[in-house]
Amino acid sequence: MIPAPSPSTASDKIVSVRDLKFTYEGGIQALKGINLDIRRGEYLAVVGGNGSGKTTLAKNINGLLRPTSGTIMVNGRSASDLTVAQLARIVGYAFQNPDHQLFCSSVVDEVRFGPQNMGFTQEDISRKVERAIEAMDLKGQRDQPPLSLTLGERRRVSIASVIAMTPEVFILDEPTTGLDAWETDDLMASIDRLNQEGRTVILITHDMNLVAKHAKRVLVMSEGRIVLDSDPGGAFSDLELLLQSKLVPPPVVQLAHRLSGLGVSRETLSPGELVSRLMLGGGEAK
Amino acid sequence: MIQMRALAAQNVRFKYSGSEHWALDGLSVDVEKGEFVSVLGCNGAGKSTLCLLLNGLIPHAIYGELQGNVEVFGTDVTKKTVAELSTQVGIVFQEPESQLFCMSVEEEVAFGPENLAVPREEIRERVEWALDLVGMSGYNDRSPFSLSGGQKQRVAIAAALSMRPEMLVLDEPAYALDPVGRTELYQFLRELKVRHGMTVLLAERDAEEAALFSDKIVLMKDGRQVAAGTPREMLHDPDKLRAMGIVPPQMSEVASLLNARLPGANFSFITVDEAERAISQSVVGRKVRRSR
Amino acid sequence: MTGFIDLYTEADTFLHRMDPRVKIVAVLLVSILGLVLSSLYSLLVLLAVIFVLLFLARATFSRTVFALKFVIRFMVLIILLWPIFDPSGTPVLASLGPVKITEPAIWRGVTSAARVGCLATVWYILMFTTSQRDLVRALVKLGLRFDFGLALAISLRFLPTLSATIDSIKDAQRARGLELDKGGLLRRARNYVAVLVPTIVSALRAADLLSLALQSRAYGAKADRTYLCDLKMRRVDGVALAVVVALLIIPVFAKFVLQVHI
Repeated sequence: MIPAPSPSTASDKIVSVRDLKFTYEGGIQALKGINLDIRRGEYLAVVGGNGSGKTTLAKNINGLLRPTSGTIMVNGRSASDLTVAQLARIVGYAFQNPDHQLFCSSVVDEVRFGPQNMGFTQEDISRKVERAIEAMDLKGQRDQPPLSLTLGERRRVSIASVIAMTPEVFILDEPTTGLDAWETDDLMASIDRLNQEGRTVILITHDMNLVAKHAKRVLVMSEGRIVLDSDPGGAFSDLELLLQSKLVPPPVVQLAHRLSGLGVSRETLSPGELVSRLMLGGGEAK
Repeated sequence: MIQMRALAAQNVRFKYSGSEHWALDGLSVDVEKGEFVSVLGCNGAGKSTLCLLLNGLIPHAIYGELQGNVEVFGTDVTKKTVAELSTQVGIVFQEPESQLFCMSVEEEVAFGPENLAVPREEIRERVEWALDLVGMSGYNDRSPFSLSGGQKQRVAIAAALSMRPEMLVLDEPAYALDPVGRTELYQFLRELKVRHGMTVLLAERDAEEAALFSDKIVLMKDGRQVAAGTPREMLHDPDKLRAMGIVPPQMSEVASLLNARLPGANFSFITVDEAERAISQSVVGRKVRRSR
Repeated sequence: MTGFIDLYTEADTFLHRMDPRVKIVAVLLVSILGLVLSSLYSLLVLLAVIFVLLFLARATFSRTVFALKFVIRFMVLIILLWPIFDPSGTPVLASLGPVKITEPAIWRGVTSAARVGCLATVWYILMFTTSQRDLVRALVKLGLRFDFGLALAISLRFLPTLSATIDSIKDAQRARGLELDKGGLLRRARNYVAVLVPTIVSALRAADLLSLALQSRAYGAKADRTYLCDLKMRRVDGVALAVVVALLIIPVFAKFVLQVHI
């Protein structure tokens, strides 16, 4: 039974990072001093190119990696006082490759695995499993072997197995890689719902379209540092910074910048917004 | 003189052995020599199956029931072995890690020609040529494990190119790459077609780069070609693309919304450059400038 | 973890430059020599020579320490345990029940330890100075079928990848509350299923893709395939080989023909 770590203070900050530095065994310094506060219920995207440190940061938060220096507070407790298993009750982590998790003979068993490790009562487990399966729309596949499902379905099983542990925070590592338009929409709708229900969502991605559509706060990381922390509009208004951080702004954002002389704001995020702002300035075609 | 097509497929049907479902169900598609074709479709549309057909892996290495006619550079793929076809069609898969199996970059790129008993001097030339082409000269002694995702992908491409194929087939080549890597890859493939006359066929789920770099777009669904044409013809209707599970180019969404809200407007752009030009020159643009 | 498998350290010593086939044969011959020699003094001389070569191989400090740690621990173990299990000979130095520690047994223990030291360390020299690529190439040139050589090369090439995959799988399962280091033997074995199954699936998938990649590059197309990298014996390699052969023949002749205790 893995006991839930009791928070030492009631605070709206669920994760607090102070001066976090992390160096890998080979000598590469992946994090060079991160300062960050995440409030309960936030919908946060962490973006950056490969090697920017975003996955390293996430793994420090859930204890898979331990800081070289600096502190991390999770739910009021110091993360270094807690084991990975204890942290897993607060911070759920869905890995990019679902096939690195799946091993059971049915979806239900797979989703049960996490809560069983947490030591909940059988009733509790069944309830949590059912809710998770429903949240990820897997009722039709509940008795099938996970390895026989499509990639989109396997992703959903992997995320459902994290949901079933009922953590407060969800870290999702590149959840839409390999998914087509439908699968992406469905998955992101489920994740949006999680956030609407009050869960804190941290999305690690380099897909800026996704960020523009769903996240409320964006952390741009580059070479082990946070170079920008703002709402998506603000993040996209600095094209230079994005390009330097090896990110490609969505075409809509690029167009908005080019048409800024026509009154289109640089903080435009979607085709709809762009068109609306154009219309406000424009009139009818001849 | 009859111009030989790079690919001429008619009414192809294919079912993987052990499956009830036809992965390809009446596919007919043509690719001319030197064309850069992007095949777009949702997961399960049959794009990967098509790729595996082009160098003979289907039906020679992957078993199932194949019907219909598939000719690559005038040859029926069922009549030649994969080894024979490998000198005409090179294939690159989506996971670079699993297709690099040698202990050094040089060995990897030399492996194909070695198998074909190409003389040693010529292999050396081909290796240098291929590595130079993909921008990995000097990496000869590096182990594949030490390379970044983008570099691995380039080595995989070099390893296919060293066999001197006329057509390069890539199955979701940008899968493991970040956005900058994606764009660089597409630019490189475009160069390959323009400078070296290579026929390029790639399978994708996202239309954004395909719009910029392809000569021709083929839309696939349920194992069949739904439509084929120029990027503008195929990608200007975002609703149709979404209905097929394909992510449309954002500019086509902008155009479509503008057309909906401006009576009489007929915008049709799929790239940022086109959009900027069209909008600036349009009435909307002029109206805004007048009102300032 | 890769250090465990790939001990090769790049440097420019005469050992590195030596033809890998000669190195393999030489190491085999030296191993045989280690088995043939029976006098402690000869073995110590051989051990000293091997250690000198080891340092000449200019391996990194950590790798040398790793190699020596293993060998020396093993040698000490032999020296300590041998007299306990070998009670024959006189004089008896100590006894406790059926266990008799005798002086000759101690010397025999030391001799065996020296022998093991020679046999183990000489193979480290090979591993430190020869890349995996050259090793496989040499084996194929010495007669190993190309198919087997390729299989060996592929296995070696994928070991670090497999290792990284296993680490990733362990992380993913630990994030679901799996505690791999807790519990009794049975519980731990069951826990490892959560790591084993995804690992095997991942390996099988990779193997599948690999076979497609191999075929796409015309593997098996021609029986007389070309080899880009060719090994050429230099004169100095031939001389080195001759020296090692001589080093073996002389003691063998002395021991078995002249009946000298060497």
